[in-house]
Amino acid sequence: MRIQVRRTGGFAGIERRAEVDTSGRPDAAAWEGLAGRVLAAGPDTAPAGVPDGFRYEITVDGRTVHAADPRLTEDQRELVSRLLEEGA
Amino acid sequence: MVRGMTTNGGFQPVFCTIVPPHILDRLSQHEDPTLHEPARRTLEHDGALRTQRRVTAARTAAAPAGTPSDQPDRTIFDAGHQETLPGRKVHTEKDKPGKDATVNRAHAGLGATFELYLKAYGRHSIDGAGLPLNATVHYGENYDNAFWNGEQMVFGDGDGTTFLDFTIPVDVIGHELTHGVTQYTANLDYQGQSGALNESVSDVFGSLIKQYALGQSADQADWLIGAGLLGPHIHGEALRSMKAPGTAYDDPNLGKDPQPATMDGYVRTSQDNGGVHLNSGIPNHAFYLVATAIGGQAWEKAGQIWYDVLTGGELASDADFADFARLTAAAAKSRYGDGEEAKAVLGAWSQVKVPTS
Repeated sequence: MRIQVRRTGGFAGIERRAEVDTSGRPDAAAWEGLAGRVLAAGPDTAPAGVPDGFRYEITVDGRTVHAADPRLTEDQRELVSRLLEEGA
Repeated sequence: MVRGMTTNGGFQPVFCTIVPPHILDRLSQHEDPTLHEPARRTLEHDGALRTQRRVTAARTAAAPAGTPSDQPDRTIFDAGHQETLPGRKVHTEKDKPGKDATVNRAHAGLGATFELYLKAYGRHSIDGAGLPLNATVHYGENYDNAFWNGEQMVFGDGDGTTFLDFTIPVDVIGHELTHGVTQYTANLDYQGQSGALNESVSDVFGSLIKQYALGQSADQADWLIGAGLLGPHIHGEALRSMKAPGTAYDDPNLGKDPQPATMDGYVRTSQDNGGVHLNSGIPNHAFYLVATAIGGQAWEKAGQIWYDVLTGGELASDADFADFARLTAAAAKSRYGDGEEAKAVLGAWSQVKVPTS
């Protein structure tokens, strides 16, 4: 499974991207479970954001869902922060 | 309609949800909590904001009973590195500075912002009616951002390497609070050119708050946004430069400052609500040109002209750069006559290639 995040907006207006390919990873099941829950929760279109808030596009095997600060779900927050920390 | 130039990535104006309410209603009834929880949250949030907007409109329409205080009413909250707002109350107006420098800086920055709006423009707090000023610090873990959530300011500590604590530059605090002023006045849509104007107004008054606090004239000011925010090993002096957009940083990790200074470099993108943090460089530079052409203290005349436009009631929420430029030219004329101020305004917009006629 290929999991990608693209973070845009923010006070700095600097875009960040990261991705993880779970194939062959020992923690693949955890990643895939988390990504599956985030995909299921959607939404397919960008939610309302706030001035200077980060916007996120999360893409899992080609399907994209959206999120925006400060109203991330726990799953969205965990997936995004793990991707930005551990992803390439 | 210039906003049509961007595809705006499916983003809707701030505080409007893109998912139609009837779909949210249906989702909110769903038995799966992963579906009903976000829908319920959105409905609750939007409902609260609609109420808030009505309250705001009512407050703006009615003359305030009595005179609001000339003193700010500041409260600082500590999120304890979680992302729950507002967090624990750690500092109120009557408290002396404490041990946490971030809390003290936030308190001081809110004060500096309150001070400029009151002393320079006679405005009592962000709503003009003495609204209490609330800020949350230590939001999230290594959180590289600060934002205005519609009700309060929120500051992250930064990751310590690329970004330091977002309360360090007073212009960042002023920037976030000015999003509040804009929300209570022209309420510029946060997308496309009106979104870039919203961003630019926050940079303009953020910079003026710093200049006022330091007692600087236009030629002494650094005209930087976020000076002191970048980590020591980052190649850059700030996040944006109003004097020379596009030159604030050039770093292997961050890339190069992508801001244009004139319409020749206008960026069409679906990201960042249509590049609101990019194209703000154009009106930012126009303000710098006006302020330095007039000379003296920038908050006095240049700032007054911008403030008159923001609060004058003629700036539409979907205004584009040309609308804003025309209104600044009219404001300069009506306040200062047909003199050097109006000439400075026309010259500045012409230099950044935004039409005023």
